[in-house]
Amino acid sequence: MKSEHLPIIEVKDLYVNFYTYAGVVKAIDGVSFTIYRGETYCLVGETGCGKSVTAKSLTKLIRPPGRIEKGQVLYYREPGKEPIDLLGLSEEELRRIRGAEISYIFQDPSASLDPLYNIGYQISETMYDHGLISSIKEGFLKAVDILKSVLMPDPETRVKNYPHELSGGMKQRAVIGISLSNNPRLVIADEPTTALDATVQDQIMDLLKKLKKEKNLTVLLITHNMGLVADMCDRVAVMYAGRIVEEADIYELFKNPLHPYTKALLKAVPNPVKKIDKLESIPGTVPNLIYPPPGCRFHPRCQYAMEKCKSERPPEIWVSSTHRVSCWLYS
Amino acid sequence: MSEIYEKKLLDKFSDALIEGFAKFLDKVRPGWYKKNKARVDEWKLMAYALNRSPPGLIGLALVIVFIVLAIVGPYIAPFNYDTPLTAFDRDAYLAPPGTVITIPNTTAAKFLGVRSGNYTLLLGSDDYGRDLFSRILYGARTSLIVAIMVMLVGPWIGILIGLVAGYYGGKIDEILMRFTDIFLAFPGLILAIAFSAVLPPRIQYFLNANPAVRQFFLSLFSLKVQHAGSMAYLVSVIIALWIVWWPGYARLVRGLVLSARENLYVEAARALGVPTRWILLRHITPNIIGPILVYLTLDFGGVILTEAGLSFLGVGAVPPIADWGRIINDGSQYFPNSWWLVFYPGLMILLTVLGFNLIGDTLRDILDPKTRRSIEFKLKKKKQKGEKNEV
Repeated sequence: MKSEHLPIIEVKDLYVNFYTYAGVVKAIDGVSFTIYRGETYCLVGETGCGKSVTAKSLTKLIRPPGRIEKGQVLYYREPGKEPIDLLGLSEEELRRIRGAEISYIFQDPSASLDPLYNIGYQISETMYDHGLISSIKEGFLKAVDILKSVLMPDPETRVKNYPHELSGGMKQRAVIGISLSNNPRLVIADEPTTALDATVQDQIMDLLKKLKKEKNLTVLLITHNMGLVADMCDRVAVMYAGRIVEEADIYELFKNPLHPYTKALLKAVPNPVKKIDKLESIPGTVPNLIYPPPGCRFHPRCQYAMEKCKSERPPEIWVSSTHRVSCWLYS
Repeated sequence: MSEIYEKKLLDKFSDALIEGFAKFLDKVRPGWYKKNKARVDEWKLMAYALNRSPPGLIGLALVIVFIVLAIVGPYIAPFNYDTPLTAFDRDAYLAPPGTVITIPNTTAAKFLGVRSGNYTLLLGSDDYGRDLFSRILYGARTSLIVAIMVMLVGPWIGILIGLVAGYYGGKIDEILMRFTDIFLAFPGLILAIAFSAVLPPRIQYFLNANPAVRQFFLSLFSLKVQHAGSMAYLVSVIIALWIVWWPGYARLVRGLVLSARENLYVEAARALGVPTRWILLRHITPNIIGPILVYLTLDFGGVILTEAGLSFLGVGAVPPIADWGRIINDGSQYFPNSWWLVFYPGLMILLTVLGFNLIGDTLRDILDPKTRRSIEFKLKKKKQKGEKNEV
């Protein structure tokens, strides 16, 4: 299924700033990565490191005061053909791509459904807006099939239910149904299970895996849950303070983490590959991105920090063909 | 669902009304009742909450009386709004309430459309001998039409601007809100005075050029054709109030949209490619409609008050058009001897505005799910206690 050399999204040198009253927050600072067709790509990092902002930037969903300063998001609509730069498209052209080709699943299912409409209507709405169906009524019939495909119990009744009548897991199933209703090529799942409890998390992840196989989807998964990463992903990018510090194959990352932050992160959570005796926390706090530390953004918390780290931005070093790291230790 | 509540007579009445309305809708669109059972129950609960709020009921009664008077007033008025009764009976000059006058059977009376006989002037008459009771009835029509006309356009300009400014944010928001600030910086009444003083000649010209529009307004205000020129002043008031009535709404709606657009479902709709106009129409507007509705109702009284104020200041309705503010203005020179010329129209303004304010306040309690639930909760508890006592 994995086709290593056919990219679907290529993010090049992305910069996103937020112009707040307190100052300019440099939320994303030169992020580049490539997602290949059919794989599950993971963005991992702690809260506020820019995972969601990166995901939203892909289809220009950043609102004022946020602004995409620089960069390219190349979208390969057909494999091997000329890509389109999503950041250069007009709002209307982007609207046609959002939901139809690149779709989102958000974190909190109870907030991402409008309380005023029933599930059937909300599924139909996106299909209607992308011209898949000619009337909302027609959409209700299709909505039943979609709810069946996301394993919603009793879809004929549920289609007429309002969000408050469903449980959290059912809501997330409905949200997944909505986002897959237009048969997108790329699904961006922004912490899809954070708001759910552990057993339901597992069901939802199983569902996502099943749908991914059935529909041949490419998934960009955003999470801070290492267990989920190990379970789902093919390749992982670790983000810290608006930069990707390390990117590797899933096995490679858990076996041989290179960046001090990744190492510390893996020591802080139970590791599915290596056995750790005691979980450790990372000293210090996440930097204020209005005044980010110069050089490597991790150096104030890094135990291997050198003089160089404090002034110069570390280069991207490809350790192997699938493993890159931004750290002066490996130059 | 509604069986768990203790019902008063009024509740049964409102239930019957709502049921009747629902059945009517079901007849128009078969299958409606079955689909919207929950909605009908919701309406019933709203009615229960209203039935338990004395201010709300008083407000509702006042508003209903006002609207009924405005609709049927011109038909039940004993005299026309401009019939000078002094032509028939000297006593009709500034007659106090309760004066009995006699109309002789003359050609003049026939010409003016007045039947002969004895009449009691319920609320007295003014210096032209015009019956105050009739003029107040006609005045209700004037107030209602002006208020409706203003409300049909003015607030919606503001709502539209607020929606756009709040949703897009950034520079569009800045530009639209500074524009709104300019309008807010002028006192609304002064601006309205300026506009209603400048506009009439153009309106007169326009009405003369378009007889259909003129006829439409004449029948709305229930005025005679020869008073079309004076009516232009009323139309100018309407337009002047359109111009000054929107900034408050723009501010209100912008604020509501700012909080509504942060909802994740708006973000999700955007991420799934729902067009902006549909996001605004389907996901934002319905979620903020409650406060807008309350403000509209409260404001209805405000428009009536402002219109009366403009007429009182002499820039609104001109004689012989019957308008509460104008009647007070004309009568003020005979105050306090002929107190009824000021007192009764003033009372009408007071009661009408009070009615709209009371009902707006109650509507806020009813439309806000939190406060309504607390009212319903109280009702339920009472019933349960009662049952326990019986056991």
